[in-house]
Amino acid sequence: MNKYLLGGLFLLISSCIYAQRITGSVNEQEPQTKSLKPITGANVYWAGTANATATDGNGRFSIPRSAQSALLVVSFVGFQNDTIKIGQESELQVVLQSDQTLEEVTVRAGNTSIDRLSPHQTEIITTRALAKAACCNLSESFETNASVSVSYSDAVTGSKQIQMLGLNGTYIQTNVENIPSIRGLASTFGLNFVPGTWIQSIDVGKGAGSVVNGYESMTGQINVELQKPDTQEKLYLNTYVNNFGRGEVNLNLAHKLSDKWSTGLLTHGSTLRNRIDKNGDGFLDLPLYTQYNAINRWKYQGDKLMAQFGIKALYEDRLGGQKDFEREMKGTTQAYGFGARVNRYEFFSKIARLFPDQPYKGLGLILNASLHDSKSYFGLNNYDGTQKTLYGNLIYQSIIGNTNHNYKAGVSYILDHYDELYKDIRLKRNESVPGAFFEYTYNHLDKFVMVAGGRVDFHNLYGTQWTPRLHLKYSLTGQTTLRASAGRGFRVANPLAEYYGNLVSSRSVMFREAIRPEVSWNYGASVTQEFKIGEMSGNFILDFYRTDSENQLVADMEDPRYIRFYNLEGTAYANSFQAEANLTPIKRFDLKLAYRLFDVKQSIRNVYDDNVLLPRMMVSRDRVLFNAGYALPYDKWKFDATVQWNGKKRLPYMGHVPDHHVPDNLGSTMAPSFYNFNAQITRTFPKWDIYLGGENLANFRQKDPIMGASEPFGQHFDAGMAWGPVVGRMIYAGMRYKIIR
Amino acid sequence: MKTTILSFVTVLLLGLNIALADGSKEVKIKTSAICEMCKARIERNLGLSKGVKESNLDLSNKVVTVKYNPEKTTPEAIKATIINIGYDADELPASQKAHDKLPSCCRKTAAAH
Repeated sequence: MNKYLLGGLFLLISSCIYAQRITGSVNEQEPQTKSLKPITGANVYWAGTANATATDGNGRFSIPRSAQSALLVVSFVGFQNDTIKIGQESELQVVLQSDQTLEEVTVRAGNTSIDRLSPHQTEIITTRALAKAACCNLSESFETNASVSVSYSDAVTGSKQIQMLGLNGTYIQTNVENIPSIRGLASTFGLNFVPGTWIQSIDVGKGAGSVVNGYESMTGQINVELQKPDTQEKLYLNTYVNNFGRGEVNLNLAHKLSDKWSTGLLTHGSTLRNRIDKNGDGFLDLPLYTQYNAINRWKYQGDKLMAQFGIKALYEDRLGGQKDFEREMKGTTQAYGFGARVNRYEFFSKIARLFPDQPYKGLGLILNASLHDSKSYFGLNNYDGTQKTLYGNLIYQSIIGNTNHNYKAGVSYILDHYDELYKDIRLKRNESVPGAFFEYTYNHLDKFVMVAGGRVDFHNLYGTQWTPRLHLKYSLTGQTTLRASAGRGFRVANPLAEYYGNLVSSRSVMFREAIRPEVSWNYGASVTQEFKIGEMSGNFILDFYRTDSENQLVADMEDPRYIRFYNLEGTAYANSFQAEANLTPIKRFDLKLAYRLFDVKQSIRNVYDDNVLLPRMMVSRDRVLFNAGYALPYDKWKFDATVQWNGKKRLPYMGHVPDHHVPDNLGSTMAPSFYNFNAQITRTFPKWDIYLGGENLANFRQKDPIMGASEPFGQHFDAGMAWGPVVGRMIYAGMRYKIIR
Repeated sequence: MKTTILSFVTVLLLGLNIALADGSKEVKIKTSAICEMCKARIERNLGLSKGVKESNLDLSNKVVTVKYNPEKTTPEAIKATIINIGYDADELPASQKAHDKLPSCCRKTAAAH
């Protein structure tokens, strides 16, 4: 434990004053013997310059003095960087501190951070960043994240969707602990099924993902790590209430049964019983709902074997629509109602064989089985769907020769059974997809990392699919990192589940043809520049990504009478440019400013069946995010505020269409831009926290979010065109209580 | 809308004000801390107690240096906090009840590591 204090930096000042070169040695300290051991291959460079060298077999280095910089940086994987201010000395002895324990503890406990080592452009949202916005589940966990934005799906069902790189959340592969989880029919409400207090951290990767997790990542991947059974907190209770009457209780328990066995229980219950119609359109602004959700899991941690298994169960019931709608009126025109009931059960297990003598080696098996059953109605239309999934992934990891050459190889199998019925449209399919993958990583001193992966999947319905992916990372200096990625993504769309919110309308659903799988190519590049000026530290990130679709599911809503689903015939692309600056001007004070630009277009067939390239609807071209957070030591008080500005969005034509003569070009309108302002204050006591916060504090509301709200059974009813907040200002308060082991 | 934003900004500035106001005193107290976990526990609990601005424990001599606001707390109260966490504070022995709740590696009987 004392090694952090004992380690550090020793400067040996020699008598040679005007030496033109700096020479020295880089060492680590043996924890037991306290003796110094040379480090071979450590990077030594002048901060902010390209002058770099590496240590030799005896840990020695020699580097010419630099005119531009007096700060010498020493870095090596697994150790903390050391920056030394060089004066007249010419001989240095550097002792690096191991950061193996530090990395896990500090990085995960800190704020949103960028994973510096990863070749993928990855942001980590930590528990601390999640606590910035107390509410409530995964869909709301991205409030302070610039890359992922939350889009409003409709004004009735209360489902929320996320967007990344200009495309819907369905193009992101969303995993829970590396198990593909929010997919298929669960994509409608799936983000609401992961309570915020269960989440330990979220990794947000932009661009093509690793082939190890499958072929479905098209614009990025999100992996959610849940609270572990062997966590420090043996009890964590969170309660929450807001001014609309939503109440929530989360209780997490963790228990260590023995040295090796531990068990954890994560539970959640929440409800909204108040009927709220603030905009006076006769419709509930938020659906009434109740959710019960629990996971029980067991973990075995041995020297050679790590095993986890558990079960998840979820029940959710929603009721929305007109203010005086009651469940008994379902199927009548007394009042327009919406209802959804979801039952979901899941079993998962993860077994890993470890090789204590060969830490680079590992063998892991992931197994998962899930049953998703949903029953919904929108006015007179019913929509039922079930999905049964089996998933298995066997991963072997090792090296070729030395640890500069890593590889992962394995086989996977996924079985999906879908059965959906909407009105009289029946969609039924069985997907059986065995696959194999290989991913090679070349790592040159962490300066240059290349990950080249490929997978082949034998889809029973759509044939053999090849998925190549490539990631490159190059550290120009310790402060500047360049990344690039390219890769193919493939997925089978579930039109009704993905455009669920649009079913709350008088639009008729039309499938113009059999829907083929979606295929896209994603290319991207990014620069990360870290800087430190005196006490001030921060980073600046620029990235550009492009997604080109070979085939895309087109949900054509240009004609207000229909939702037409068909395959893409022309082109569809999404360009995303983002600039983000994070600054810590003084200790515990964090600022984030980000600007994001989307250029997203999609070919839509017009009345003559010609393809017209149109901006994708419901996508803001511009978005600005500003976040400021300040905390007192030990987070005694924490203050946090976020402002978002969402630019204009294209909406399809919403007017009247004469039956006898459909105009050539219906045209479209633009939804106005708007601000969203959130803030929160937290007070921490040794065992508990209390928090008070507000969302949408500027009380901005979309005017008339429901078209034709007065005649929900008429021809012009459409609740699926919500582009902004439907409810106004929301104030919430809550309490967290923790017992630490 | 404006008033809400204004009030939040005011609260934020108030917070900064609390943080930056000076006029603090410092006290050094010898504890029975053993390891990093002890250090973290003592620093956090003291840091969150009334009137304490900063606490820093040096494991090599087990002395915790506490910066506090003399108008809100006293060295006696700080010592009382430490013994209630389960550690000795200068001449005062740790509260037995709190001490027994500590993980085995943090108890006085634990071997130094």
